[in-house]
Amino acid sequence: MTIRRRTFEILEGEVADKASRFCEIFVASLVVLNVLAIILESVHEIHEAYRTFFHYFDLFSVAVFSVEYVLRVWSYAEKFKASGGSSWQGRKSYLFSFYGFVDFFSTVPFYLQLLMPGTDLRVLRMFRLLRIFKLSRYNSAMDDMFEAIKSERDSFSSAIFLLFISCLLFSSLIYIIEGHDQPQVFPSIPAAMHWFMMTIISGWGNVDPVTYPGVVLVVVTQIMAIALAAILTGVVSTAYTAQVARRESLYEMQIRAVLADGVVSDEEAEHLKSMQAKYGMSDEQVEAIAAQVRAEKGQ
Amino acid sequence: MIASSQKTVMEILDGSPSQPFSRYAEWLISIIVLVNCTAVILDSVPEIHAQHKDFFHELEFWSVMFFTFEYLIRVWSLGAKTPLNPWKGRREYMFSAFGLIDFFATMPYYLHVFFPLFDLRILRVLRLLRILKLSKYNTALQDLFTAVYSERRAFGSAAFLLLIATIVSASLMHFAEGHAQPEHFGSIPHSIYWSIITITSGFGNVEPVTKGGEVIAVLTGFLGVCMAAIMTGIVASAFANQMSRKKASYMAQLRQVLADGVVSDTEREALKRLQVQFRLSDTEVQTMMDQAAMAKGDPS
Repeated sequence: MTIRRRTFEILEGEVADKASRFCEIFVASLVVLNVLAIILESVHEIHEAYRTFFHYFDLFSVAVFSVEYVLRVWSYAEKFKASGGSSWQGRKSYLFSFYGFVDFFSTVPFYLQLLMPGTDLRVLRMFRLLRIFKLSRYNSAMDDMFEAIKSERDSFSSAIFLLFISCLLFSSLIYIIEGHDQPQVFPSIPAAMHWFMMTIISGWGNVDPVTYPGVVLVVVTQIMAIALAAILTGVVSTAYTAQVARRESLYEMQIRAVLADGVVSDEEAEHLKSMQAKYGMSDEQVEAIAAQVRAEKGQ
Repeated sequence: MIASSQKTVMEILDGSPSQPFSRYAEWLISIIVLVNCTAVILDSVPEIHAQHKDFFHELEFWSVMFFTFEYLIRVWSLGAKTPLNPWKGRREYMFSAFGLIDFFATMPYYLHVFFPLFDLRILRVLRLLRILKLSKYNTALQDLFTAVYSERRAFGSAAFLLLIATIVSASLMHFAEGHAQPEHFGSIPHSIYWSIITITSGFGNVEPVTKGGEVIAVLTGFLGVCMAAIMTGIVASAFANQMSRKKASYMAQLRQVLADGVVSDTEREALKRLQVQFRLSDTEVQTMMDQAAMAKGDPS
């Protein structure tokens, strides 16, 4: 096994061994400390008192993250080696992935500052905050969310479309009905759209209507706001439920396949274990599925 | 010749997958509708209106021409739906929801031309109906409505609950605060407005001043949270039910296809179409296929 292959395995967490575990924990805790530092730094007194400390800490973190980035680019050549892909194919897949961008933009702007000292520090700090996304590599929650949204994208888009249509209709109606009476609140449809969005988000647009049709319209909008919130929540919860169900059935199939020959080898047990970890399933869930499969077999 | 072109035009406007042009027609109409809505919004800003008045006027004129043309061509082509009695298909379209939308989103412009004194504001409201033309192309939206419609009884009881809660809290509030704040709670209809605002947003537009009023306000706000939870629950279960209905019917189809052990091309085609119609992802279909295969392979 080459050093490059080994580096790739450690960074990617492909095998469950101590080195990759350690590397994961080290990077994750450094990211957490970084985020804490950014938050504390924004408090004026703390910044004044520990200025040099924060500076050296940032230097250290940038050094670590730079090494991590370079190592990743270098070692990702191995990604498609097994299936006969070229080195740059693997590197490209990392460089242009979500995490590739996060790693790049959370680190490299620091060097920009060294080259051009005049850069706005606030922009730089904003880029530093991107480091928090490095954490999501070690947690599948964000992937889960995106996957759930992707699988239900039609429902999401239709909910958004509904929001869009109702925003347009209601804000235009309130502008037409109340625009003459309250020109300071509804001077134009864009201003009325602001009112509508406030109503949808917080449930109360902070404007009392002065005409009777206006009262009716505000009441309808209020009820509409609840309905829209309910629809969005409903879509999200269905997407999540479907996602969990899909995973459980995938896992169940795997268990069936494993139990089919009656013997559970170490390798199979290991595989099931890693699948459970990947899907974030609890031991109870797994036990329930296994018991069900066993009961079916026993029949 | 005319009959066949009539049918082609109908298919293009109907978004039939056999006509490659139907896509472009859909895009063209959608873009013009969006441009129109943006124009209505921008036109309402006084500064922009003053500056680009003529442009908006031109745009409105040409859009109306376009939509009129679209409407006429739709009416004409839908004669092909019922070849024996062309006016039957046309009537069906003209009195359908989309037909009425198409009509009322366009024709009031002519009314304005003939009767220049007509109230412009009503005209503007009707112009906004054009946005609803888009919903014709959004099948997911129709799905959403079906899901909600199938739970209409639950929604009805939620609405009933809302009605009762509103009336009770409004009357209580009137009795508690009517004397202290007659400008807001002077009559029950007057306090109904306050109740609805409080129930829907959890926060009223008027602060109560008496102790009794405070207690009622807190309870009403709390009721609002419950209402939101009930509605969310209903919608979520409606979606979940719709999803499992779709999956069940896809599964039934799949079982039938796999029953004879051979999957012919027509069967595969039918399954594919069903998948698109039900908006099932490839992974979901794969999982179901594995399940069906496993169920078949299982001796029990």
